[in-house]
Amino acid sequence: MSMGSDAQQKIESYLGRLRAQLRGADDEEVREIVEELRSHIMDKAAPSGEVSSAGVDASLAALGSPEDLARQYITDNLLARAEVSRSPVRILESLFRWASLSVAGFFVLVVAIVGYVLGVVLILCAVLKPFHPHTAGLWVSRDSTGDLSFFLRLGFGSAPMVGRDVLGWWIIPVGLVVGFGLVMLTTRFALWCARLYRRSRVLPRG
Amino acid sequence: MKAHEASEQITGDKWEVQLRKGCLELAILAALWDGKLYGLEILRRMESDSDLIVTEGTIYPLLSRLKALGLVRSEWVESDAGHPRKYYALTPAGRHRLREMAGMWARFSSSMSKLLAPLGKGK
Repeated sequence: MSMGSDAQQKIESYLGRLRAQLRGADDEEVREIVEELRSHIMDKAAPSGEVSSAGVDASLAALGSPEDLARQYITDNLLARAEVSRSPVRILESLFRWASLSVAGFFVLVVAIVGYVLGVVLILCAVLKPFHPHTAGLWVSRDSTGDLSFFLRLGFGSAPMVGRDVLGWWIIPVGLVVGFGLVMLTTRFALWCARLYRRSRVLPRG
Repeated sequence: MKAHEASEQITGDKWEVQLRKGCLELAILAALWDGKLYGLEILRRMESDSDLIVTEGTIYPLLSRLKALGLVRSEWVESDAGHPRKYYALTPAGRHRLREMAGMWARFSSSMSKLLAPLGKGK
């Protein structure tokens, strides 16, 4: 097969952009993706053996932008991972990559972080309550202007000067149920967003 | 065209797009029933045997997802074209899933046909 340097350069530039967008993913995975697409582009651009610059242009146009393609890989990967294991760590890992690629991904990441952190803190409050019976839990205090503020305290250190423990021992069941519920809800939310995003990207040509 | 006709047209097209998208995974798995194929062959099979045409880039992330789910496996094979190609084949789990999906599709399609039967009779 013969190929002009112009055509070669176009292919390399496209694959380079794709590789850059997939940074952070497993090296072997990225190499496979890039090589598979290189093979696709060559097959499309050279049905008769000669790779022309115009053929490369047409085949790259049909693939869509490398940025779009990278986002599809990341959201599809997120969905597949999550269906296999619903681990928040893996989901957050994929969300960080998605966030680096799009505004939508960034917002999903922010919401997911808030959800997971709040969920984990609630669980920790519940778990630590027996060890810090006088200080851990949901505390409420009224400041000088009369506004109520809520704190989730893990109970390390001394009891606060102001405010009171609202839930008492109820923090244990409430913290566990609401905490685990929040973690699950956050996972479902992240998956739902990824699914929605993926659907919006699968556009038929005809 | 009147405004309401235009909006109906858009809704109708959107519905068709959704319908096609929903069937994409089933279509990819079905294309692999007879044996291993590489990405472009799967695309061509889908173009020739159905009008399920998708943007070409879409199929590769989907294949990677089906692989992560354990429904297909892949291998690199040297070709006459001078570059290796990545072939996909169904795993036993993939064959099982495809049979299940095909069964659901058949039931769904026959109940829709019953519902739509009156449309064929009177005009």
